[in-house]
Amino acid sequence: MSGDHTDRDWVTLLGGNERRGGTSATRRSAPKDLVWKVGLPDSVRSSPVLRDGSLFVTCRDGCVYAIDSRTGKIRWKFQAGAAIDSTPSISGNLVFFGCDDGALYAVDHTAGRLQWSAAGEGAIWTTPIVRDDSVYAGSTDGTFKAVDRSSGRTRWQRQMQGRICSTAYASAELVYFGCTDGQVYALDSASGKDRWAFRAGDSVIASPAVVDGMVLVGSEDFFFYALDAASGAVRWKFETDLGIASSAAVADGRVFFGGKDGFVYARAVTDGREIWKSKSLRTITATPVAGGSMTCIQGFYGSTQAYDSNTGEELWRANLGGSLQSTPIVTDEALYLATYPGVLYALR
Amino acid sequence: MDRRTFVFGATLGTLNLGSTRLRWSQPDPPRKSLKIDVRAPEMPLSPLGMPGLFPGRVVEVVHPGAIVRRRVSQPAVRVMLEAGMKALTGETLAENAWRRLFTADDVVAIKVNPSGVPQTTTSIPLVREVVQALNGVGVPNKHIIVYDRNSNQLEVNGYHALLPAGVRVVGLDQRWAVGGETRGGYDPAVFCEMDCFGELETRSYLASVVSTEATKIVNLPCLKEHNASGVTGCLKNLAYGSFNNVARTHVDPKTYTDPVIAVMCSAAPVRSKAVLNIMDGIRAVYHSGPFAWNPDFVWEPQTLLLGTDPVAVDRIELEIVEQKRREVGAPSVWDRNPDHLGTSADMQQSFMKSPFYREPGHIKTASALGLGTWELDKIDRRVVRIA
Repeated sequence: MSGDHTDRDWVTLLGGNERRGGTSATRRSAPKDLVWKVGLPDSVRSSPVLRDGSLFVTCRDGCVYAIDSRTGKIRWKFQAGAAIDSTPSISGNLVFFGCDDGALYAVDHTAGRLQWSAAGEGAIWTTPIVRDDSVYAGSTDGTFKAVDRSSGRTRWQRQMQGRICSTAYASAELVYFGCTDGQVYALDSASGKDRWAFRAGDSVIASPAVVDGMVLVGSEDFFFYALDAASGAVRWKFETDLGIASSAAVADGRVFFGGKDGFVYARAVTDGREIWKSKSLRTITATPVAGGSMTCIQGFYGSTQAYDSNTGEELWRANLGGSLQSTPIVTDEALYLATYPGVLYALR
Repeated sequence: MDRRTFVFGATLGTLNLGSTRLRWSQPDPPRKSLKIDVRAPEMPLSPLGMPGLFPGRVVEVVHPGAIVRRRVSQPAVRVMLEAGMKALTGETLAENAWRRLFTADDVVAIKVNPSGVPQTTTSIPLVREVVQALNGVGVPNKHIIVYDRNSNQLEVNGYHALLPAGVRVVGLDQRWAVGGETRGGYDPAVFCEMDCFGELETRSYLASVVSTEATKIVNLPCLKEHNASGVTGCLKNLAYGSFNNVARTHVDPKTYTDPVIAVMCSAAPVRSKAVLNIMDGIRAVYHSGPFAWNPDFVWEPQTLLLGTDPVAVDRIELEIVEQKRREVGAPSVWDRNPDHLGTSADMQQSFMKSPFYREPGHIKTASALGLGTWELDKIDRRVVRIA
């Protein structure tokens, strides 16, 4: 894994490449104070990431912003070629993100200088995932590619038969992602060749997590799947009442995800048995963050909910208004939230 | 530029259309008069424009297998759409039916209804089938635009992600790139101006997708009761999904959805370009629409309504909603009993309550404006039952 960040950092979707969506933070009480808030010029559809006291957030105005996490002051911004919907990743001194202009970008994380861009055709909404010397990302035109981390040069590229909105999970040998052609793919990370593909009943736009030899991912076919990471065989599956767009977060042997049916689900990784299920929030497409003590998720209708990870008891809820679909960052210092209208909050 | 002024008279009970004055019944309780100025480009009325190629014709396709284990069935929707288009046009091949209305050169905007997440929105399988049918007449995905006012509702329903690659999904509250330039959602040159309740912003602007980008519109509303306009069907989906700043037309308990919806639909770009309506009634709402937070008010007619005449389709929708309300003992959407007024929360709990005196009169007003057929005895209702 990246291995170059501390527990205080939150360097990619769901915190780290482990896709725990977890944190060492033990926050259980409701945030009471607004530390700062920043209004960005356009909508934010992505989630912020955190590194060395800077939040990095992408915006539909085509910029990635580096924001001082203590003050909310903008340290730098970088203008890309079109709107950005991709949650960034940080590895080493580089911030990676995809763009609606089809390109992958790498910019220096301290000053926002462009290091390279790798052109493509379809808008990239997924998070570029960095593993060793490669960056992996899928595109809405169905291409999935691995590029060199230092130069952006393409190492291999595949063309799938649907859109790729699912952020990949990169293990040592395989890279996993879902596609709107209804399949979950496992490709050889060095060559891009097929290792296995699993066909669900409908599109897979959620992002998989891989833990204990299982690929955990939900589908628009209403099912949440645990697939054998080596073969793609179904270990267990669980049917919800609607499609699943929320990506899975894992912590302490449990997997957490939201459903369009409005529920937050906590289930055992090993066999899928129910740990708890929340009351309905009407619909959930956001991805939760999960720690040993608290699970936090944003509802579509403006609420941020926190649950006891063990029992599902609601700990608190905050209603900031507007639509909230991004994944919050939970640290011991603050809770960082991005809203669809483009407001970034730091709450304590 | 077409400049027209409509006056809905409180005292005269008339609707003045430029030089035309129509007798009109006054709603109860009475409202103040409403003057609506429309600024829209001059456009010759196309034979395809409202009421379109088949005035007064409504095809109702019912498929008992449209929902399978709670999921909208893509194959069933395909069968329904093909049968419906053939019945609407009289063609024996579905592709030829679509060719009656669209050409390969068209840029087609698809107006969906994404409000009412998660189950009472224009279903993804229906949109996919419409896209595929348009592809069949040669319209490429890059010339298909799925749009609505609210990008967040589009996104949460998955239209961005779940439709075929190349189809543009546009929330009018966003900006987007076309041919290297950034465009906004609304056209400052096309608007309806009125003062409903003393609001500060009195203009409602038309979507630039409608005014400039699209050559045709496929309208995909949902079969739903609406707490302000009685039903949200073809006319409301087009008007309030294509113009902005429309929530101002209804303030508890009064609403100007009649005549505003009808007048907006009569604006030249909307009237000329909306050539086909396919109402998604696979799941439907008979109370507390459009959002229908209470699933008790959702039922499953497993039906599509098709027509080029939005007034006729909405009239049939109104009949279906009223029939369902009678079945469950709910008051008519025309109800004027003040005891039945309540809060939005009341409405979500009881089908006896509504925050508004609903005004489904916009359908009849649209008919008066020449947009289609209101009278039931003049509507050619064709029911197709899929075995």
